[in-house]
Amino acid sequence: MTGGRRISEVELHAFVDGELAGKERAEVETALATAPEELRAVRAIADLNERLARHHAQVLDEPIPARMAALGAGPALRWRLSARPARAAGLAALVLVAAGAGYLARDLGRGNSAAQAAFVASALSAHQVFVPEVRHPVEVGAGDEKHLVQWLTRRLGTEVRAPELSAEGWKLVGGRLLPDRGQAAAQFMYEDAQGRRLTLYVRKEAGLTDAAFRFAERGDFGAFYWIDRSLAYALAGRLDRGELMRLATSIHAQLGGPGTG
Amino acid sequence: MTSRREAVTAEIPRLRRYARALVGDSSEADDLIQDTLERALARLEQWRDGDNPRKWLFSILHNLHVDGLRRKSRRPPHVGLDSLGADHSAPAADGASGSDLDRALQLLTADQREVVLLVGLEGLSYAETAEVLAIPMGTVMSRLARGRDRLRGLLAYGLEDEAEHAGLRRVK
Repeated sequence: MTGGRRISEVELHAFVDGELAGKERAEVETALATAPEELRAVRAIADLNERLARHHAQVLDEPIPARMAALGAGPALRWRLSARPARAAGLAALVLVAAGAGYLARDLGRGNSAAQAAFVASALSAHQVFVPEVRHPVEVGAGDEKHLVQWLTRRLGTEVRAPELSAEGWKLVGGRLLPDRGQAAAQFMYEDAQGRRLTLYVRKEAGLTDAAFRFAERGDFGAFYWIDRSLAYALAGRLDRGELMRLATSIHAQLGGPGTG
Repeated sequence: MTSRREAVTAEIPRLRRYARALVGDSSEADDLIQDTLERALARLEQWRDGDNPRKWLFSILHNLHVDGLRRKSRRPPHVGLDSLGADHSAPAADGASGSDLDRALQLLTADQREVVLLVGLEGLSYAETAEVLAIPMGTVMSRLARGRDRLRGLLAYGLEDEAEHAGLRRVK
């Protein structure tokens, strides 16, 4: 390590878990740039979180057992539960409540969402791993954008474009190719004037069929993800949800355009 | 009260995910959630307005879980030490399946498992985790580091391997 200070083990965990902010975070980021071993540890911790998320994702979409649903329906409905219509009403109310909380009703009982969770987990991990990189945040820089886009298009096997976000204050840093369960995935990175970073993760939509905008979060990172034609996208950043949503909408409009989807 | 009840029910999927990872058995996990919900719904007035319902529910779940472990420890364990030893000596190769992950999680101490899952799976901050478990933040951090280290050791899993064995993962 040259000139950089040592990073403690606790700091490495805190870094991955989004517990560091401002100067502390910047210090660790700087130190990581010249500490390959610590960077590996950071990636290993992030990877562990991703595996936990992926492995347990499907539980979120399992139908809620009737005895729990009955509790949720409240005392007013509970005493009528023996009557079938009331039970159905209780469950329906529960589904609506769940939908309001972000678990979309149509997902209940469908297996598709595990694949979606895996997709967004990959995107979030790629975000967490590469965003702190000081020296090599991308493989191909924005100066070579034409080559970058041609290369990623060829590797993903379908047309990929880097959306233009300069009107929103974000400039393209560049992009890289990543493995995602044996498929090629692309990551574009953007940066704003304050040095905040945003990544757009793109992969062929294999196995993901739902086109709706979804939001996922891990610690203080958030991601919006969606499917547009043959590609799945996830926009990730440490931004508030509204800001991320606006950017995702802008990207969707640019890449898909009206009348597609 | 209705909206509070709804806020509690909306957390069921998250609670179930956490409990299943924590106890490693889905029916036992659902029993724990059932108890958690019953206790929570009976004490809705204890939940202060504006507080995060998730944090409150996780602490109820934690207390019930600890009570359950205490009761269990008075009975002989149903998993023999031999089988634990066998799992230990045969860490999963890369491409470890979910059940390897389940087994490895169950080999952590209950204290470590809670912290690893609350932070790593549920995305709670260290401060929230400390509050849920009623322990100091420093304890959260040291348990987290030890737990993750142990888990990684059990899975014998490194990132360098991931790239090399990408092909193996696919045929899993």
